[in-house]
Amino acid sequence: MAYSFPEEVLEHVFSFIGSDRDRNAVSLVCKSWYEIERWCRRRVFVGNCYAVSPAAVVRRFPDVRSVELKGKPHFADFNLVPEGWGGYVSPWITTLARAYPWLEEIRLKRMVVTDESLELIARSFKNFKVLVLSSCEGFSTDGLAAVAANCRNLRELDLRESEVEDMSGHWLSHFPDSYTSLVSLNISCLGSEVSFSALERLVSRCPDLRSLRLNRTVPLDRLANLLRRAPQLAELGTGVYSAELRSDDFSNLVGALAGCRELRSLSGFWDVVPAYLPAVYPLCSGLTSLNLSYATIQSSELTKLISQCHSLQRLWVLDYIEDSGLEALAACCKDLRELRVFPSEPFNREGNVSLTEQGLVSVSEGCSKLQSVLYFCRQMSNAALLTIARNRPNMTRFRLCIIEPRCPDYITHEPLDTGFGAIVQHCKDLQRLSLSGLLTDRVFEYIGTYAKKLEMLSVAFAGDSDLGLHHVLSGCDSLRKLEIRDCPFGDKALLANAAKLETMRSLWMSSCSVSFGACKLLGQKMPRLNVEVIDERGHPDSRPESCPVEKLYIYRTVAGPRFDMPDFVWTMDEDSALRPS
Amino acid sequence: MGRASAKDSSPSSSSSSSSPSLVDNSKHKNHPRTSLSFASSVCRYSSCNSGGSSSTRAGRTRRGDLNTDLRLGLSIVSPDAQKDNWIGPSVSKQREQRQDWPPIKSLLRTTLAVAGKADTNVHNVHNNDNSDRTRTSLFVKVYMEGVPIGRKLDLLTLHNYDDLISTLAHMFTTSITCPNGDRADHAKSLHVLTYEDREGDWMMVGDVPWEMFMTTVKRLKITRADRC
Repeated sequence: MAYSFPEEVLEHVFSFIGSDRDRNAVSLVCKSWYEIERWCRRRVFVGNCYAVSPAAVVRRFPDVRSVELKGKPHFADFNLVPEGWGGYVSPWITTLARAYPWLEEIRLKRMVVTDESLELIARSFKNFKVLVLSSCEGFSTDGLAAVAANCRNLRELDLRESEVEDMSGHWLSHFPDSYTSLVSLNISCLGSEVSFSALERLVSRCPDLRSLRLNRTVPLDRLANLLRRAPQLAELGTGVYSAELRSDDFSNLVGALAGCRELRSLSGFWDVVPAYLPAVYPLCSGLTSLNLSYATIQSSELTKLISQCHSLQRLWVLDYIEDSGLEALAACCKDLRELRVFPSEPFNREGNVSLTEQGLVSVSEGCSKLQSVLYFCRQMSNAALLTIARNRPNMTRFRLCIIEPRCPDYITHEPLDTGFGAIVQHCKDLQRLSLSGLLTDRVFEYIGTYAKKLEMLSVAFAGDSDLGLHHVLSGCDSLRKLEIRDCPFGDKALLANAAKLETMRSLWMSSCSVSFGACKLLGQKMPRLNVEVIDERGHPDSRPESCPVEKLYIYRTVAGPRFDMPDFVWTMDEDSALRPS
Repeated sequence: MGRASAKDSSPSSSSSSSSPSLVDNSKHKNHPRTSLSFASSVCRYSSCNSGGSSSTRAGRTRRGDLNTDLRLGLSIVSPDAQKDNWIGPSVSKQREQRQDWPPIKSLLRTTLAVAGKADTNVHNVHNNDNSDRTRTSLFVKVYMEGVPIGRKLDLLTLHNYDDLISTLAHMFTTSITCPNGDRADHAKSLHVLTYEDREGDWMMVGDVPWEMFMTTVKRLKITRADRC
């Protein structure tokens, strides 16, 4: 059938296929489809920058406009990956710069980006539009200045959660006066003051600006001025939300906020003073997204705000909201899809607020569209988990963190196996799950049996034996990412399911019971896996083979061992396995 | 505000404020008693008095944060309070446990730590000591001439200049002149260690006492000795 169409027609048809998975399927149909598809692929996503070489990507897809790369393992977010591990983007940028002069978008996550790379981006791509650096590090405001000065068509600059070396706040003034194309700017992670006059001028001359996320140093009394220049904003991240406002300043702010009729998303609110919150009340009915995870205010004030947001779909909030606030949320926000509740005092074991399992139960009852949850709390029960599971079978992402590790059901003092078992049994489309609390191997049996669509699983302080890991690896058909810390899982389960690892993107295990010998064996058996031992105590050869390794990161790759390993990472390739230790 | 109404969570925090002793998260346990007086003199730079606190904060440090928090974990915390707080099976893992559990991104950790101080300092709403924070990490960037990528180093895991030099020597596989080391060693070293202080001046590491250095260092640089 393929031969009945001219290439141009197929190319046109393929252009309507957006998802990576479908494009991959198309390219597997036959050689001619493979050829046609590769020439017209415009977007590439690489979930692990070490899984394929930049050269191989460029060879296969000659005309790409958008590249998305991910670097470090997810657990890097929580300080589990040692400093200097890797995830360097520079070889990628060098190759992309040579191959794709018309590249428009680069999105990076958890990668180390140098100023040199940013300068290369600024120089190399003629029509560069989007730069998203999510949880990246290694660069400074000097690199950003180069991007600002040279990328005339830049639409989006998003530094979300990156760690930027602040050389100076003047980098914003490097956007030329003729530059007007900015649509989205996120500088919320920057620590130092930005040049406010440069920011004001920039905002004034970009009529398409829809999203502006400021950093903590932008004072509240200057916000009104900015907003009057950009009444078309749909997303706003405020700076610090406290100041000694005169009454006319305050009414000025109220007026400016009310002028932004299209605002759908609010964040920021550093150091929020509750007295100034009424300024956003007129916007509430239109809001779909509200990030209050920096707003350290009492439940009553949070509740007053949230109960006016009837269209809310996403809420991020600190546990100051308490059970009563979540009850109000359940009653008022019927469109809610995503809820994240973070702990205000994560190192305080006993709890400073009245937030329990009951808050989440209320929301699961009231919000029928709820499908994504991240919830930090200090007590949980099997009964509550069962209720949540029954209430919300449409849940796709469920991450529960009970702050005290190995904390049992607080009513029955039993493990939480049956509760999480109910989640995986009822939520048939569950894609992401994080476990916490006291858990035995039984919960993994439930997961292996029921969680057939689970793609990412995070486990900490759980299980009794190899059997737990074995259930997951042998049962979860769709599993792509598995991250485990402080669990008694060891060699047997890992080696028995070695073939499964090739179907997954990656496996992280730290403080588990996998021996160095097993790592060697795995590297030898599975040449398409990179088995990397991370051990800051020195070479694993200096200890007995049966000694457990500190950290283990396994990922499939078509690129072979990586070349940029620091001296605390060892890859278990065939040679190392054969070498006597 | 939320924290004002919060009940005191740690059974030992009252004892910690009544009988203060300087123990910070096991990292300073090797400090001689004499450092106590120095630590309290450092505290005068801080805009708030550190009271006894059972709650601790961890997280990577940003420069903005550095400018506001100058107590650098030298707050007074009772050993009991520390013991009560950490989670985990072995004492040696105490700090590590704090850094990586519960799983919260460092940006939120840092913001919460700063927010806690802002509550006490700026608005002066809560006058209770409970919302004070103890720092458990102090990350600074270290650069080496000729190496494009900086590395981060938690200074609070180190006890003195010797620790710092040996850690860096290992990290960058080089030998570095020890600030108060012997002369012979000095002559052989190819690299010297400098730091940028809060005023933005580059100084030789070792020019002030270690505790003073900790309050002022912004970043470190390893430079070839013949260029100095």
